[in-house]
Amino acid sequence: MRKCTYPKAAALLVGASLALSGCGGSSAAEPVDVSAEPKYSGKLGILTKFGGDPLEPYFEDLAAQYTELHPDVSFELIQETDQSIKDKTKTLTASQAMPDIYFTWAGNWADNFIDGGLAADLSPVIAPGTDWGDTFGESSLEAFEKDGKYYAVPLYNNGKFMGYNKKIFEEVGLTPPASFDELISSCAVLKDAGYEPIAFGNKDGWPGLHYLQQLFAYNVPADVLQADFDPETAKLDDPGYLTAMEEFTTLVSECTGSGKDSNGVLYTTAQQALAEGKAGMYYQEILEFDSTAAEGTPLQKDGLGIFKLPAAGDAPGDTEAIEGSPEGYLINARSENAALAVDFMKFATTAENAATLSAPPYGQPSAVKGAVSEENSSGPVIEGIEQVNDASAGIIWLDSVTVPDVADAWLAGGEALVGGSRSPEEVLESVRSASEAAK
Amino acid sequence: MTVANSARAAAVPVAGAGVPNLSSPPARAGRKDARGWRNLIWVLPAIGLLAAFVYLPLVQNLGFSVLEWDIYSGGQTFVGAENYARMFEDPIFWKSVVNNLWYAGISIVFQVFGALALAALIEGLRSDRWRRTLRAVYFIPSAVSLTVAGLLFYFIYEPQMGILNAALDGAGIGQFTQAWLGQENTAIFGIIAMSQWQGFGYCTLLFAVALQRIPTELYEAAAIDGVGPFRRFFSISLPLVREMSSLMMIVTVSGAFQVFNEVMVMTGGGPNNSSQVLGTWLYRSGFVKNDFGYASAIATAIFVITLSLAVLQLWYSRRRRVEW
Amino acid sequence: MVTRGSVLLVLGRGFVSAFLLALAVVVLYPLLWMVLNGVKSNAELFGNPFALPVAWRWENYATAWNRGVGDYLMTSVLVTVTSTLATVFISAWAAYGLTRVRIPFSRTVLILILAGLMLAPTVALIPLVRMFQAMGLYNTFWALLILYTAFRIPFTTFLIRAYMMDLPAEVDEAAAVDGASKARAFWQVILPMCRPIIVSTVILNILFTWNEYLFAMIFTSGGDFQTLPVGLTNLMSRHGTDYPVVFAGMVIAAAPVIVLFFAGQRYFIRGLADGIGK
Repeated sequence: MRKCTYPKAAALLVGASLALSGCGGSSAAEPVDVSAEPKYSGKLGILTKFGGDPLEPYFEDLAAQYTELHPDVSFELIQETDQSIKDKTKTLTASQAMPDIYFTWAGNWADNFIDGGLAADLSPVIAPGTDWGDTFGESSLEAFEKDGKYYAVPLYNNGKFMGYNKKIFEEVGLTPPASFDELISSCAVLKDAGYEPIAFGNKDGWPGLHYLQQLFAYNVPADVLQADFDPETAKLDDPGYLTAMEEFTTLVSECTGSGKDSNGVLYTTAQQALAEGKAGMYYQEILEFDSTAAEGTPLQKDGLGIFKLPAAGDAPGDTEAIEGSPEGYLINARSENAALAVDFMKFATTAENAATLSAPPYGQPSAVKGAVSEENSSGPVIEGIEQVNDASAGIIWLDSVTVPDVADAWLAGGEALVGGSRSPEEVLESVRSASEAAK
Repeated sequence: MTVANSARAAAVPVAGAGVPNLSSPPARAGRKDARGWRNLIWVLPAIGLLAAFVYLPLVQNLGFSVLEWDIYSGGQTFVGAENYARMFEDPIFWKSVVNNLWYAGISIVFQVFGALALAALIEGLRSDRWRRTLRAVYFIPSAVSLTVAGLLFYFIYEPQMGILNAALDGAGIGQFTQAWLGQENTAIFGIIAMSQWQGFGYCTLLFAVALQRIPTELYEAAAIDGVGPFRRFFSISLPLVREMSSLMMIVTVSGAFQVFNEVMVMTGGGPNNSSQVLGTWLYRSGFVKNDFGYASAIATAIFVITLSLAVLQLWYSRRRRVEW
Repeated sequence: MVTRGSVLLVLGRGFVSAFLLALAVVVLYPLLWMVLNGVKSNAELFGNPFALPVAWRWENYATAWNRGVGDYLMTSVLVTVTSTLATVFISAWAAYGLTRVRIPFSRTVLILILAGLMLAPTVALIPLVRMFQAMGLYNTFWALLILYTAFRIPFTTFLIRAYMMDLPAEVDEAAAVDGASKARAFWQVILPMCRPIIVSTVILNILFTWNEYLFAMIFTSGGDFQTLPVGLTNLMSRHGTDYPVVFAGMVIAAAPVIVLFFAGQRYFIRGLADGIGK
């Protein structure tokens, strides 16, 4: 039963609306049985984050193969992109129209669905120790663990790295920088040689957030950082935040070609600049590696190298942490086809399909053990996954780890730092008050 | 002004002049009889659709605006006027109002006064073919959707491939090049400028049609009296289309408070919320920040503003009706 | 003999013409740029933005079409045609009732319909989302059909009613003498006489529906059902690095309505004039 807590007087006002919104209806039926024997008939709705080239065919192919095995099963794929999936998910959630299987990030994003009773508890089938669960790297499963229960099927791992053009670096005599200061000074070298040092497009706001979150991890002690993600425990007064924001503004002004104008540039334009051999570096996710250095691009010929965004030598935080976390799929707790949905996700994570996912053109490093290997995956993807596995911690994206109000304040703040309209102190202050209000 | 709103604009003159016709046709105004009820079948489909999908949601929105509501669990809590109190303290709400006001003010200058002057210039041309061609050419952007126009201008403003900066460079005033949509102080004006490009032709067309309805004898008589074109415009054209201009103004302002599409496409309200308008802030509050109660409060604000303007429009058109 | 006045007049005319032409360039050049960018390569796009394409890559259009623009176009056509027909029919039907039939509370009914003109769709947005979900219509063709029809009835009824009021009462009387029912008179006499305004409202509604964004964005959730304005923004985020294809998609989206406007210009302007004159 959903809560219907409002006084009688308000009931008059909202009476008409509730009749239609169905408040008070019994929408939460019995917990779905995810371990039941699936009935191979019906329609599975899936919300993916694989919209667009080159990812779109992955789920299409899976669905087609599955239908071949089980002719009575049909699919409704809603394929969104990194940019559009947030809005779409919220819209579908608000209207209680979530499909049987849906994409999730780790962190607050997944917690909302779990707490709201929208995600089926998959522990019986996917917890470590179960047949299926043992096929995944344990840390991937744990990214979606809450109160001892496992909720998501981790599909692939991810991490954020600075990608660089090997040939350009060689040409100007650079090696991957070991410290933040070294990164800044390499930028001058690239600039002198006529290259845009780091391509950066912050029109959508989140590319800036990614820099900030990695720098926060370096500059803010890990326990403080974790406490600050939750408005209940957040203090947001660590001086490391200011250091990180100052580093970020330095990077924007010293290293990017667009500088203050970066808020008007699309991230895809920046990606393009690296792919075309015009820029020396571009900060990207493992998921982007194979599409940045796609077949036929100058970058593919020159070679894509990667390195972790270097931390300042004296950074007080966790300098071994890498930003990025596995991404997975939840099963709708209200789905009538939950068992079938589980079966489909098992199919999606077979060794064979996991290998396909980890290979170009998809280049999504599967969370299934052994899927990322020399024979399947491109060099940068293998290297990225190794570094993620060696990292001391995976830091979840700033916009999915914390509550939306705080994430939104950081997003606006990042844009303000790029444009130079607010100081780090002012940004931190605004985030603090957003966090305060979100308690 | 959107095409959708432009269509509304077209209605205004109708609304203005049409007000006296709000009563049923006098010849048919008779007493109700039993048979009359069956005739409701004529208006039932229209009334039914409007009641269910336009009026009912309006009422529901008021109900939602006093709730705090968790989209994940579906739980709703009555919070009284809290959403409204928060709204009045929210700097981004006020930023949005200011941006909507800029939108309205600039649109009045270009789409009311500018369009009227332009229409007069066009109608002053001697060649009928040129008159028709120009009216049509200016109208083309209004046939292009705001989405296409917004995307197009996104690229025009783009710092690296856009033609605006390239043109400034070419004209030797390269110091003015900037990321028009990427800067807090220019983003909203970049969007408004696009909207003027997109909408002025529609308004010009409306004014041109209105000007055509002014009897030519008036101009001829004035010309014979030796009155020059400027004075003819101010002493004949302007007074006679004054009613329409006022109405256009109210509709332009009303449209300016409903802006959504172009902002969404071009900046999404950024950077740093500098180009947020009420429509996009409503969307962001509800669909991005999960705060549907608050979003409903913003919707109520839009409702109050647009309704006041509509009432103003009705009141005005009743008071000042110019017959010709 | 050349007077000072006539020199001023000629100068003035020259200035006006130059201004009007310059404005036409400002209007047309961005559109031309859009079309040209649709046949460029990505590298050319980032080169000199004023340059003409070296090779005309018409295949960009095919690519755009295959990447979903074809589907978006079909969806847009379907939604536009059905909602325009529904809107114009229901509105003409109501306008007839309001002008030529005696109905109870006709004044209230009229105000109810026309007041819809003043309401912003944004205000109803959130309740509508919940309503359509509860009805199971969310993310379906029906959601858009119903919304577009409901929100366009006031304006369309307004225009048609204004036109019908001008038709002489004798028309109905003649029909009545012939023994025609009201419904037959509507179909066979009044509706044909309203042809000009019907065409105008059809064009205005096509323009609206084809370009509508807010409802289309909120009430459809991708997959196989998406209209052009929303599909285009998707194309942008999905294939962002391939901008010429995005431009090609924009041209495909814009062209039909521009063509329609030129084809129906006469009716269109007359429709506006009729609306204003009443």
